[in-house]
Amino acid sequence: MIFSLNLSFSDLLLLLPEIFLTCWLCVVLIVDFVSPRLPKEQLAYLSVAGLAITLGCLAWFDVNHISGALFGNMFVLDRMAIFFKVFILGATILVILSSVEYVNRFTLFRGEYYVLVVMSALGMMFMASANDLLSVFVSLEFSTLGFYVLVSYLRDDLASNEAGLKFFILGVFAAGLFAYGISLVYGETGQLVFSEMSSAQATPGLIIGFLLIFAALGFKIGAVPFHSWIPDTYHGAPTPVTAFLSIAPKGAALVILLRIFLVALASFKPVWVYLLVAVSIVSMTYGNIVAIAQRNIKRLLAYSGIAQIGNVLIGLAAGTKMGSDAILFYLLAYLFANLGAFAVVIAVSQAIGKDEIEDYRGLNRRSPFLAFAMLLFLLSLAGVPPLAGFIGKLYIFVAAIKEGLYTLITVGLINIVISLYYYLIVVKQMYINEPIDPSPIRISSPMKTVIYVGLAGTLVIGIYPQPFTDWVVEATLMFSNFVTPSATAIPSTIHVGS
Amino acid sequence: MGEYVLLCILFAPFAGALGLIFVSNRQPLLVRGIAAGSAFISLIASIYLFYAYDPVKGGFQFIQKIEWSRQLGISLHLGVDGIGTPLVLASTILLFAGIFVSWHIKDRTKEFYIWLLILAAATIGVFMSLDLFFLYFFYEMSVIPMYLLLGMWGSHTKKYLEMTDTEGMKLRDSVGFIFNFGSNSKEYAAMKLVLFLSAFAVVALMGILLIYKYSGLNTFDILVLREHAQLMNIPVLGTTLDKIIWILVFFGFASIAPLWPMHSWSPVGHAAAPAATSMLHAGVLMKLGHFSIIRVAFEILPETTRELMPIAAVLCMFSIIYGGFVAFYAKDTKYVIGYSSSSHMGYVFLGMAALNYISLSGAVIYMFAHAMATGMLFAMAGWVYDQTHTRDIPSLGGLSNKMPFISACFIVACMASIGMPGTVNFIAEIMIVVGSWNKYPLQVIVAMLGIVLTLAYLFKMMRGLFYGPMNQKYGHAHDAISTVDRLPLLIMISVSIGFGIFPMHLYDVVRSGVDPLIVKITEVVPVARSGDGAGPPSAVGPSEPMVTTPVVASEILPTPVLTSHGVSE
Repeated sequence: MIFSLNLSFSDLLLLLPEIFLTCWLCVVLIVDFVSPRLPKEQLAYLSVAGLAITLGCLAWFDVNHISGALFGNMFVLDRMAIFFKVFILGATILVILSSVEYVNRFTLFRGEYYVLVVMSALGMMFMASANDLLSVFVSLEFSTLGFYVLVSYLRDDLASNEAGLKFFILGVFAAGLFAYGISLVYGETGQLVFSEMSSAQATPGLIIGFLLIFAALGFKIGAVPFHSWIPDTYHGAPTPVTAFLSIAPKGAALVILLRIFLVALASFKPVWVYLLVAVSIVSMTYGNIVAIAQRNIKRLLAYSGIAQIGNVLIGLAAGTKMGSDAILFYLLAYLFANLGAFAVVIAVSQAIGKDEIEDYRGLNRRSPFLAFAMLLFLLSLAGVPPLAGFIGKLYIFVAAIKEGLYTLITVGLINIVISLYYYLIVVKQMYINEPIDPSPIRISSPMKTVIYVGLAGTLVIGIYPQPFTDWVVEATLMFSNFVTPSATAIPSTIHVGS
Repeated sequence: MGEYVLLCILFAPFAGALGLIFVSNRQPLLVRGIAAGSAFISLIASIYLFYAYDPVKGGFQFIQKIEWSRQLGISLHLGVDGIGTPLVLASTILLFAGIFVSWHIKDRTKEFYIWLLILAAATIGVFMSLDLFFLYFFYEMSVIPMYLLLGMWGSHTKKYLEMTDTEGMKLRDSVGFIFNFGSNSKEYAAMKLVLFLSAFAVVALMGILLIYKYSGLNTFDILVLREHAQLMNIPVLGTTLDKIIWILVFFGFASIAPLWPMHSWSPVGHAAAPAATSMLHAGVLMKLGHFSIIRVAFEILPETTRELMPIAAVLCMFSIIYGGFVAFYAKDTKYVIGYSSSSHMGYVFLGMAALNYISLSGAVIYMFAHAMATGMLFAMAGWVYDQTHTRDIPSLGGLSNKMPFISACFIVACMASIGMPGTVNFIAEIMIVVGSWNKYPLQVIVAMLGIVLTLAYLFKMMRGLFYGPMNQKYGHAHDAISTVDRLPLLIMISVSIGFGIFPMHLYDVVRSGVDPLIVKITEVVPVARSGDGAGPPSAVGPSEPMVTTPVVASEILPTPVLTSHGVSE
């Protein structure tokens, strides 16, 4: 393997979003350091500005079809990487906006909070581009590092500390598995780049290696049986961090899963399909059934997240281009619904100070807007038309039925009904039960923005999905004929413009 | 209007709901005005649709096709045939009437009308969808508004209200309350309804997905699928694929109809729902089941339909008899009407099962007729509940002194429900009975028995509510006096009787939709096309005005006289 380090200017162009964001990160840190009197909201808006400029830059890449690979294929910028970077940046912006008010709860290091969030986002952006097991590992750990701190940011809160510790121990364990898996795979194939592994033979070492890697990534996305950290961590972490954790790392880990299963392991599809079917069935069923018994809204969303990942894995199990389209589309729908739901949770907990489902009693009387927003977000998560989640689920089912995964679809359909039950329990509290304390709830304007964006996304994607399906279909063009491994090779030259 | 009439009918209520979001609850008149206005636009457009539909040309008319998703092969493909047209009309009439019936709702008026409009629009959407995806889309979309309408504005049963202990309250809020079949709360009813309907809807969705996959056409378009889908004779699991799909689709959609073993959500739901919701629910929502079976199973799998439709013929007997007997013994006004609806829906299944021109047309006309009759009954049960805050028949009585107009209308509604000549129900019933006799004589006898049962329980309820000694507790109850209160009843009565006397256009429209279906399913070409085929109803026609006149006149006659008259008939 040869690493060429003589980067030209046009090479650097591919890294421009990351380079820019790193610089901006330093600027935010310096501004916080230089003027400690500056209201922390300003830092939030400063970070959002940087993220938005990066987003604009990526949009320009996407429109102009800029793509290419760097460092001997370790870093690729293809349409899918751009999609996921946009996804992560969008999630980060919404998370930062929804934490503007929440940050006042932290006793110390309020400015550093934003820096850590953006840093994790940066790590995940690298993950979206990682095309090599080593760069995956490095960027994965880079992004997780920020999360370890963020999860235990409520220093005086026991639950937050517990969450941080749990997340840390299991996260480090997963990292160990990942590193071990990499070493096994490298030992068997002599390759680290995904696209060059496709001709590998199925030796026991390779199988164990990939199983270990899958376990580590399964930990990131929170699929059963690697989910045990999810409920406690989600419950204890500061709610904006939970929101961030519930969406961005899942997206970043899924892009790697897509690259591994559809590129590196494309020829082993008949084998891994069983693994994914099993994990998917167990995740959906376990997540949904345990969610029924939850009393805390964050834990409910945690378990529903486990179930949602089960749904996403249906698309991965389909293992086709359409399956990956469906995953991307589903993630978009999930982004708006899930972040929106968490934004409502944050808004309510700002007013009430608690986040038990019982506290949502009569929310409709206290704040019709919040209740309505929560209703739509939960129904979108459940997959009720005309919301985005419904189209996402249908897209995944259509992709899977084309591959004949009938069992999986049957389980998925049954799970829609189960999930409807516990989402409706929350709806019942909000709409049917009368409030104990009918005082109205005030919502801050950044929070309102987040909820409006969530609502707009949920409704627009649900009612007019065509532009979004077009986008995801183009983003996954690299998988269009993945069965022949050579077709997935990434061009080593850079194409600027189309 | 012209070709965009379907979009107008479908989107007027949606637009109304959207507009209502921006109106404050402090302006109740404006809220009601917007709701009524959008429903009125929809109603006018659907009346236009009904009369502009050309039965001679037949087939799907007023087609709109808007591409929606290329990747999935979905387009917003709207169009109505002779089966959809009257049902669209029924939906808009009931929506318009329902808005006036719920005129006095004080609590969260705006939200109520938003969900009511969305519910109605979703229902209308199913009746005009020519795309399997959108059929399911609108179908599933109609379920959630039901949950909120039942939960927020619904009412508990007497038994539930007596359970006031804290332990019971705690139990009902707990996870286990779904399994707590003893409770009859509105929350229970709403949750049961949603879970039942969603559970069966995903069964139907599985069928739809199988159609999508095995047709291999990469489209959900019903018109394409019915021409080109090759689903026959693919062996799966020891039987053939078409049978599996048919069973999935049939039972998936029959649950909302509701066919006998899957009916239990329906009366509970009716009972808990506010009046306008019950009207839409019993009036049109239940017809989504029959309609979707006709649209999906009959259109796409005609040969399998011929083979498997006897299932419906068997189950419909249980529907009719079981519903009828429960209604007879029920003590709650809305339970009586709810079970009577589920019993009457058995007739529609009988008409569908017999698979001939007369019976299937009868089934479609019955759907329309039943919408009016049951709409009236629920509107009046709602009125009585609003006045007395009870639905318990034994504790009521003698209300005709207090509400002569309501009790007069109630008699008309009972007559319509029974299928009295002069109402459109009669035409429908006689067509179902005559059409099915050759094929299913046993079921026809059961249906006749069902009619007798209907008479028994409706008159029993009428006597319990309006006659006999009056409970002085309800001395404050008053009649529907204002135009707003009377309008919905008068609309439904006039539609029911109007089409009972002049059924020609309705019949022609329905026949034009039924004929091509029957040709496809039974491969028997009709002997008599529309002009001649109108024989049975026109033969009935002349005798009707004589019977009808006293019923109309009954509105002004003193009520006690009329009852004895009515019972003896």
